[in-house]
Amino acid sequence: MSAILLIAVPLLAAFISILFKKYAHYILVFVSFASVFALGYMDLGTITVGGFNAPFGIVLILDDYSLIALYIVNTLFFLVAILNCNEFKKVGSIMLVALAGLNGLLLTGDLFNLFVFLEVAGIAAYLITTTNKKPLASFNYLIQGTVGSSLYLLGLILLYAMFGTLNMADMASSIANSGYGAGVTAFPFLLMFIGFGVEAKLLPFNSWTKGILANSNRLTGPMIASVYAAAIGFVFGRLLTNVFVIEDTFLIIVTIILIFSVVAGEAMAYASTKVREILLYSSVAQAALVVVVFMSGFTGWAVYLIIGNAAAKLVLFLITNTATKQLGNDDVETFKGLFVNNKVIGLAFTAVTLSVIGLPMFLGFVTKMNILENMFVSGDYIWPAIILITSVVEGIYFIRLLLNLWYKENDLPEVKFEFVLKYVVVIIAVLIMVFGVYTEPVQDSADNLVAYSYIEGGNL
Amino acid sequence: MKNFLAFITVLVLGYMIVVSLDNNEAFPAYGEADVSSRVSQAFIDRSVTEDPGDIIFGQATNLESGPANIVTAIVADYRSFDTLGEVTVLFVSSLGVALLLGGKKQKRLELNFHPNFMLRVGSRALFGIILMTGVYIAIHGHLTPGGGFPGGAMIASSMLLLYLADDEFRAKIKGFKMLESFAGTAYVLIGLTGLLLGGYFLENLLDNGVIGDLFSAGIIPIVYVLIGLKVGSEISGIIDNFLTEEGV
Repeated sequence: MSAILLIAVPLLAAFISILFKKYAHYILVFVSFASVFALGYMDLGTITVGGFNAPFGIVLILDDYSLIALYIVNTLFFLVAILNCNEFKKVGSIMLVALAGLNGLLLTGDLFNLFVFLEVAGIAAYLITTTNKKPLASFNYLIQGTVGSSLYLLGLILLYAMFGTLNMADMASSIANSGYGAGVTAFPFLLMFIGFGVEAKLLPFNSWTKGILANSNRLTGPMIASVYAAAIGFVFGRLLTNVFVIEDTFLIIVTIILIFSVVAGEAMAYASTKVREILLYSSVAQAALVVVVFMSGFTGWAVYLIIGNAAAKLVLFLITNTATKQLGNDDVETFKGLFVNNKVIGLAFTAVTLSVIGLPMFLGFVTKMNILENMFVSGDYIWPAIILITSVVEGIYFIRLLLNLWYKENDLPEVKFEFVLKYVVVIIAVLIMVFGVYTEPVQDSADNLVAYSYIEGGNL
Repeated sequence: MKNFLAFITVLVLGYMIVVSLDNNEAFPAYGEADVSSRVSQAFIDRSVTEDPGDIIFGQATNLESGPANIVTAIVADYRSFDTLGEVTVLFVSSLGVALLLGGKKQKRLELNFHPNFMLRVGSRALFGIILMTGVYIAIHGHLTPGGGFPGGAMIASSMLLLYLADDEFRAKIKGFKMLESFAGTAYVLIGLTGLLLGGYFLENLLDNGVIGDLFSAGIIPIVYVLIGLKVGSEISGIIDNFLTEEGV
């Protein structure tokens, strides 16, 4: 089966669904399930669109890397869709477009096509966030996202003027063969980095994040913090590993941005007294960490970092936003003792949180441990130090949060979680624990992915 | 303070653009780029798959890409997939406008003037001419500058004229929705037909004909008419959403 169907079918469904508005959410659930299911039948390789070979036509790349990315993003998307389809019927068609856009982002091997899908997925995301009923925050997101993607486009225009091609693999080899120093491409890459930095929530380009995620509901929280974060992380990884040349001054600027993001993200999470703010600032730090690991060249472990984070944020935001809706606000004070009567949900929340901190027995530990080990081996001591220190801070605020959520004597908050949600969060938590203990498959696949993915710019 | 910081940021960005591009050996000066080493040369020569030699307007046949208009050849043939993406961008934008502004019971916004009889009749006469020009532009997209997007925008501007010149006019939005859905569906289905029969999504399966003829370039005029209809109906829908308000 051709991977183009992952883009064409949701798009087709979106075009049809506007005539059957009442059933749009059913179509959405069906198509997103079919996408996950169809992934098992996809053939790896380069898919040419329109019959013109790369670099002249547009190609899609389905290698191990994009296949893993598609599995994660489509599965998470399906979970978010099925848990919210009845509550947010109105955005059914928009979610279908979002699915097509996200799949396009992950598959494309063309830098301009990437911009097109960034716009498609971006506009769909702005519209999905309007369900927060905070128009100003959505407008902020819209403006910043658009400026970000325009900067990406400006950077791409400069690169096209220099090398006359848009294909990722061709661009990478043109740059490598041109014989110019890294200086000539530093500025366009910086613009593209900033453009993606906006979507990936890197500081100082992420001021939209607070307005969106701190007011999020059950749809937008998991959607933006989990599904979109994972997709953007994977695409950013593709660019960082295959296309970008990061050296000299550019490397210094990027490193400063990343250190700032990680440290400030964790510090702000530490200072927050609202549950959703703690989660969103922790997301900011984690997103920057993903970029760091990709830049250090440990692709396999960066992938596991994205997976662990996306799964964790899905669970955390689902639970938090369900509770927030029933309790009225998300102050830690209000949430006190939430898990005393909801032990199953509490256990899942705890397991996932501990994995994010990186305690042994959880997937997060395996990932963090290997990243630190690899960094030490390659002679980098600054990042391991920063990661270790911020992990301690992370540990303090998350465990403080857990203690608050578990212990209270009387006057407990009353929150009901429905059956499907319980099911989903428990399964994710169990998986995180299973792969935290039984680490062999994780270890193998992460090492292999480094070894044979990315053949010359991703052209298989 | 905020404005001052913004000003400084803009200055720094401007400075960086000048410094990084001035004397940049990879960045060619205006008019001095070596086009022959770039992908665009193959688009101009139509020599991506094989070299057809000289192309003579009105005579050359069986080219890999049939439109006489080079821009159309790139936008709707070589990079047709991007165009499908751009169509989707407009589609999701119009969905968004409908999501935010549309409701069940809509009535026209009150205009501060009441158009007289002459204006109403005159605008209807003009409507047909603008509409037909839009259709013409969309149909001839593969031959002359224009195509589905400008043609569609013209179709929508004829609707805008009716809305502005008559304060009671409302188009049948249901029809626009159906047209929009039909055009989008047909575009994707054409792509899928290419995948099924030719092996490539959006492959041009029909005969390219003689370059410069109205009936040439295979699926491209068809796709451009669909895009014209889709863009026209989407922007008309947006106009309707902006010029109506909730109420009985």
